This record gives sequence, C-alpha cells and structure tokens, in this order.
Amino acid sequence: MAQDNAVSPYAAEYEELCEQLPGQHLAWLQQIRGEAHQQFSQCGFPTLRDEEWRYTNVSPIEKKLFSAKPPLADADIQIGEYQLSDCWRIVLVDGYFNAALSDLSGLPESVAVMSMAEALDKHDDTIKAHLGQAVSDQEHGLVAFNTSRFGDGLFIQIPAGQALDKPIQLINVMSQTDHLAHTRNLVILEAQAEAQIIETAIGDNNAYLSAAVSEVFVGENAALEWFKLQADSEKAYHFSGTYVKQSTYSRFKHHNFSFGGLLARNDIHCDIQKAAECELNGLFLAQKRQHIDNHTRINHCEPHGISREQYKGVLNQRARGVFQGRVIVAEDAQKTDSEMNNRNLLLSDDAEIDTKPQLEIYADDVKCAHGVTVGQLDEQSVFYLKSRCIDEASARNMLTFAFANEMVTKIAHQGLHDLLLSLVLERFPQTDVSAEWL
Amino acid sequence: MSSSAEKIEDLIGQEYKQGFVTELETETFEPGLDEDVIRRLSKIKNEPEFMLEYRLKAFRHWQKMAEPDWAQLNIDPIDYQAISYYSAPKKKEDKPQSLDEVDPELLETYKKLGIPLDEQERLAGVAVDAVFDSVSVATTFKGKLKEAGVIFCPISEALNDYPELVQQYLGTVVPTGDNFFAALNAAVFTDGSFVYIPKGVRCPMELSTYFRINAANTGQFERTLIIADEDSHVSYLEGCTAPMRDENQLHAAVVELVAMDNAEIKYSTVQNWYPGDKDGVGGIYNFVTKRAECRGVNSKVSWTQVETGSAITWKYPSCVLLGDNSIGEFYSVALTNNFQQADTGTKMIHVGKNTSSNIVSKGISAGKAQNTYRGLVKVAKSADNARNYTQCDSLLVGDACGAHTFPYVEVKQPSAQVEHEATTSKISEDQLFFCQQRGLSAEDAVSMIVNGFCKDVFKELPMEFAVEAQALLGISLEGSVG
Repeated sequence: MAQDNAVSPYAAEYEELCEQLPGQHLAWLQQIRGEAHQQFSQCGFPTLRDEEWRYTNVSPIEKKLFSAKPPLADADIQIGEYQLSDCWRIVLVDGYFNAALSDLSGLPESVAVMSMAEALDKHDDTIKAHLGQAVSDQEHGLVAFNTSRFGDGLFIQIPAGQALDKPIQLINVMSQTDHLAHTRNLVILEAQAEAQIIETAIGDNNAYLSAAVSEVFVGENAALEWFKLQADSEKAYHFSGTYVKQSTYSRFKHHNFSFGGLLARNDIHCDIQKAAECELNGLFLAQKRQHIDNHTRINHCEPHGISREQYKGVLNQRARGVFQGRVIVAEDAQKTDSEMNNRNLLLSDDAEIDTKPQLEIYADDVKCAHGVTVGQLDEQSVFYLKSRCIDEASARNMLTFAFANEMVTKIAHQGLHDLLLSLVLERFPQTDVSAEWL
Repeated sequence: MSSSAEKIEDLIGQEYKQGFVTELETETFEPGLDEDVIRRLSKIKNEPEFMLEYRLKAFRHWQKMAEPDWAQLNIDPIDYQAISYYSAPKKKEDKPQSLDEVDPELLETYKKLGIPLDEQERLAGVAVDAVFDSVSVATTFKGKLKEAGVIFCPISEALNDYPELVQQYLGTVVPTGDNFFAALNAAVFTDGSFVYIPKGVRCPMELSTYFRINAANTGQFERTLIIADEDSHVSYLEGCTAPMRDENQLHAAVVELVAMDNAEIKYSTVQNWYPGDKDGVGGIYNFVTKRAECRGVNSKVSWTQVETGSAITWKYPSCVLLGDNSIGEFYSVALTNNFQQADTGTKMIHVGKNTSSNIVSKGISAGKAQNTYRGLVKVAKSADNARNYTQCDSLLVGDACGAHTFPYVEVKQPSAQVEHEATTSKISEDQLFFCQQRGLSAEDAVSMIVNGFCKDVFKELPMEFAVEAQALLGISLEGSVG
C-alpha cells in the first residue's frame, strides 16, 4: 500500500518506548520486536484501500495521538457489575497487571495463569515457542504495532488433560484519558485440556485506544470456550485480534458481544485442523455514532472440519455496522461442513450496515453455505403486540430485544448470562412487561 | 473416484466445436497502440469529429490507469502493444447493400456456426447483426424493423446515420474512465450493435448479435448501446465464438443499456469464446463491462448469461436502479472446466424508491478451474422499500477445482430488505444413486441433476438460446423428462 507520504507518528516514538518494555533480557524477543517495528514503519496502519478494511477508517487514531502512560498509583478502579463471581480473575488496569484486584486463589498448581510480564520471566521458553505462531505474516499493521511494543497481558497454560471447573475472567479496565494500551495475550491449552475464558473490556467515560492481540493454541482434543464482552466507553477506540490455532479434534467456541466503543474492530481468525470444530457467535449493538466492525476468518486446512458462525447486528441512530466473514476450504479439506449466517436489523434512517460473507473453496466434497439478511422489524409482529395493549415503543423494543436475546441464551454461565441480559435490556427498555416473561 | 464421476467428466469435457478458422483476405492494422492508430481507426470508420475526441480522451485516461488486480484470477501479463486493434475482411468499394453481396465465405462461416444468415432473411424469426473481427458484416431484417421504427444497425453505421442519438447516450452509462478495460474499449472499439426502440414500441422480433473473432493476434473490442424509450420493450441476444489458437486473445467489450419510463430490456448472452485446451493453453481473455441504467419509473432490465467459454472471464453485468419501482434481474450460469477461470457476478445499485432486484447465480466448476461469484448489492439512503434477493449456488465436479463466493451488501436504508443465500456442494453420490436406482443411466442422472441445478436460469432464456445453452453444457434434455 502506498504509505510513503509520512511514517506514522506512532513509529517515531518507538526508540524511546522500547527500553521500558518488559522482556529486556530476552534477545529473541528484542529481535521479534525490532522486525515488527520495521514492518509497522513500512506499512503503517491499514487504510480504506486495504480490502479487509474498506469499511473501517482508522485514521482518527493517527490524528489524535494516544500514548502509553505509566500506571496510576492511586487509581480508584470500579469494576462493579462486570466482576463475575464464581471465576478466577485477572485484572489489567490501563494494560498493566493489577494484583490487588486479581484473584487466582485455589487455582490448580499445574495451571499457569499470570500476567505476560511475569510469564516473560518464568515461561520464556514457552512464549518463545508460541509467540507469533498463530498470526499469519500477512496480517495488517495493527498486529505488527502490537508485537513491536506490547507491554503486559494474560498468559495461560493449561497442561494436558486438565479441565478447569470455573472460568477465568480477564478484565481490561481503562482509566486514563488518551491512554494507549497494547496488551498481548497468549493462551495455550495442551491436549485434552478444557477451559473457559471470559474477556471483559470496560473503561471510564473518556477517549482511549486499546489495541490487543490474543494468540490461542487449542491442543489435540482440547476444548476452549471464549466469551468476550466489549463494553468500552463510547469515546474509545478498540482493536482486538484473536488468532486461533486448533489442533486435531479440538473444539473452540467464541462468543463475541460488542456493545461499546466509538470505533471497535474485532478480528477473529481460526486455522482448524482435522475434524476440529469451530463455532463463532456474535452480537453487536451499535447506536449514536458508533462503528463496530467484525472480521472473522475460518481456515479449514484439513478434512472433516466443522464450522458454525452466527453474527447478529442491531444498528440504531447514526451507527454503522460491518460484518466480514470468510470461510476458506483448502484443497485437502474434504468433508468440510461449514455454515455462516449474518442477520442485521436497521432501526433508523441514518444507520448503515455493510456485510461481506465470503466462501473460498478449493475442495469438492464439501457442504458450505452462507446467508445474509438485512431488514427491519416485522410490522405484523409490531401490530400484534400493539393489539395486546403494548405501546409502540415497548413493542419495538421487545421485538428487538428478542432478536438480540437469541445470542444471549447461548451463554450457559449464569453470572455472565444475567449480566448480558441486563445490558441488552438497558439498550431496549420495555415497560413493566419485561419482568413477567423473562 | 467412482465410474459415475468419470462420466461427469466425459460429459463436461466436450470438445470446442467452433474452433475453425475462416480463410479470408483481411485488412489488418500492424500491432501496436498509440494516438495515430486511433486516428486511423476513426478515419477508416469515417466517424464524426466528436468520436475522435471521445476516443482520444479515453485513450489518454487509459494510459494513466493500471490493470485491476482484485479479482480472483491469475492472468499472464497482457502486452497491449502486441495486439492489432483493427482487422476486417477486405471490402469491395462499397458496403454490401444486401446479403447477396456479402462474401460467400462469410455466409458459410456463419452457417457453420449454426446461424444461416440467408435463411434468417427468408424465415421470420430473429434479426441478426453479425460482427466479424472488427466490423459488422451483415444485419438482417433491417427493413422490417424500420417499419416498426426500431433502429438496429452496427454502431459504426449509427455514428454516421444518427450521430446525435449516439452522442446523447454513448458513455453515459459506462463513462470513459470507468475502469481499465472500459477505457481501452472506448479508445479503440471498432463495432458492435446499436439499438433504439422508440416510444411505445414493442420490438416485433428478437434482436441478436453474433460476434466472431477470426484473425490471429487481434483483439475484439465491441461496443453495444441499447436504448429503450418510454413504454417500449426489447429482447436482445448475444452469442460469441472464436477459433482455437495457442495464443491468448483479448476481448474487451462494453455494453450500455438505457431504459426509460416503463421500458423493458431483456439481454441474454451465450458466451462461448474459445476456452483454451485441456492444458490451459490459449483461449480468449474476456474482460467485459456491462451496465444498465433504469432511468425511468417502472423500468426493468434483465440480464441472463450462460458463460461457458473464455480462458478468463471478468464480467459483472450491473443495474443502476434510478427510477422509482424499477427492477433489475440477473440470471447466470457459469461453467468453467480445465484451466478456465471466471470471476463474474453483478452489481445492483438501488437509488429509486420501491426498487427491487433479483440475483440467481449458478456456478459449475470442473477440472482445475476456478469459478468466483462476486456481487454487490447497494441500497442508497434514497431507496425506500428496496428489495433484493440473491441466491448463488456452486456445484463442484472433481477435486482440483475451486468455487468462491464474494458478495458485498451495503445498506443505508432501514426499510430495505436484503437477503443473500449461498451454497456450495458437489453432485452427491446419494442423488446419483437415487436416480440410477430409478432406472436412469449415470449419464442421464448427471444430466438431470445439472439441468435441475441450472433450471432457474435456463427458464429465463429465449427458446433458441435455451436449447443452445443446454447443448453447450454437454447435456441433453432427454433424461430430465422421465
């Protein structure tokens, strides 16, 4: 891409920054960071000319410069309702691990859950073997940006055969204005391990930039369920890339709830091997001037893989939603079974949806389908509810809620389910009827 | 691989029957392209001054453009200076006034292709404009059409006879700088058909153009312009073939359709350019820009295409639905075999209120071919109650081919309703078994399944073309009856 005009202002500050990053003692890491920095200096952030970014303009983050500030010592951090009981918890405040808010008591000894900075000291060999392995070389500039300067993050390694009986909750809280956090998460499930991760992104009501990358390795026959709740401030910029490598017979489920952010972009890319199962669910609710972009890719590399994908969007006021889903079936990936579905509800004259579901198939013995709909509430249903003495606004909210709630009902964890339910209800308030039938 | 799978390959892998060359004395330009070539071209065609201006403008723009590379295609680089931009059978002093004066070799060629021009003259049926390399050699039924007020003639003739009409519409749907190939076409187009249906006229017969590339090392650049004035109706067919050659030949066409109030245009194509041999040598590079503007209220444009030929197909017949209540339709069967590559689809741009569009695309991919559907449905803010339904299915035959679907949906209007569905599968052993168990041979069973797969599109084709299309797929209708 033509980016000769000017090096991104972010690239210029790297020299100064790199000396404060964790993992100074690791030569290999310094090398990886250096290479990533070089790549970022050349390509910069993605532009609208990049096919994968044609609907999402990231230039505002270059106009308004965010910078990584040191952690505040005396910050008063409110997690409130987002803190789920019945979970191990690891909290990052402004991208830095916060021990006081975290709670890992009772975690089995063999399981490693810690901050990335700590893991770089204790598990540097494991990190060396995995870092950058789930991300393909062709990824956009934001990944290189993250790799070159990531600070803290979450490190999880679950040994073979170990199944965790409670989820691990990762809470990212942003508290400082104009702060820039680039967290890097590494999750490794060895063969037959099982785990649930609940990722929560929240922040104070101000502008900040969060550019996170997660790399996930799901070992043979292992199972991972990942819930993501993005409820960032309405002034925030949120970029998140989740790159998953699934081994043979593994199962990976991802539930993506995007409610916050001024500009939010989620990349979820899965490479799946023989007979692995991959399920991606998503719900995005955007209002005011929010822009939410979901970008998924499922790469069937080997035979007998199964993938299911369902994304739903509700766009209100001047919001814009984007869904880009791609399923690739490689030449050898016979007997692949893949379904993708994207349904969108436009509630106002100024809302916009751009959707791009793609199938790229190089094998013949496959079953692949995708479907997209864009529409509005069914007038007959609205009429039916009105004839039952429900006022128009409530009737519409009720139907919109029902549309969105389908994704919430898929959540088995009670605490998270209730939290999501209350957040969706908050968006679509209904008169007293709601209490009775919920 | 089962025996039935081999049968499928036999069926799909038929030979190219139109690959012969006609020996003719021709007048051909030296390969190469510059402003002089365009001036010579314009002079030979005896064109009005504005055309030369138009061409030069397009050419200057083209020089600044780069070939598009976003399609899912592998294209060997094209040397635009190695192509001859004009080739025509050598003419006698004057243009032939009737078919009797047309070179018998040419008539024979078209007879061999199944289009006996002289018979067409006698038997009531379809009016044909036959385009041979760079020029139109004959147009049948001119008189009868004139009675109805319909203008159907080569575009080069229209430029002389109706310059105002052509100038008014040419390039208004596809501007000269629209894309790389459209710009090239605007600079060097040689012939094509021009159709004007006046107000309130229902064209008394089907109009048809048959394109034939014959000469070696030439490109064919044809331009078709169809204008359907208020309350008119026309059905237009287009067919194309080329000889078998080891070199790739370039075909870059532009088709513009304009539909005014209550007008309807039905445009059907059976594209059977030489697809190259089994090893992917030779074949036509087919880069086509086709676009229709539904300018009037209640207007309707329907594209139907059967794409079986060409080494590379790059083609997106589109509809811009400007008028309220206007309708756009796209029905397509694209068959690719051996090393053929097709990247084709449509664009439906909804601007007017209550506009609707319907897309049915069927892709069949065999051998080592790659078949891509690429489509855009765009609903502008002004398009209240816009409606779109898209169905695109792919059928895979053989394990080395690919089928891809890249739909784009952009909606800015909440009352719009847009649906897209796509499936990809192969002919299943179960389906074959079911048919065979009912007493059908494997061959008939495949024929039946493939025909059923394409039925939604074939039923949109005019009768003559439907038959040709089915024959082209190498599958007889027998078998689907039982």
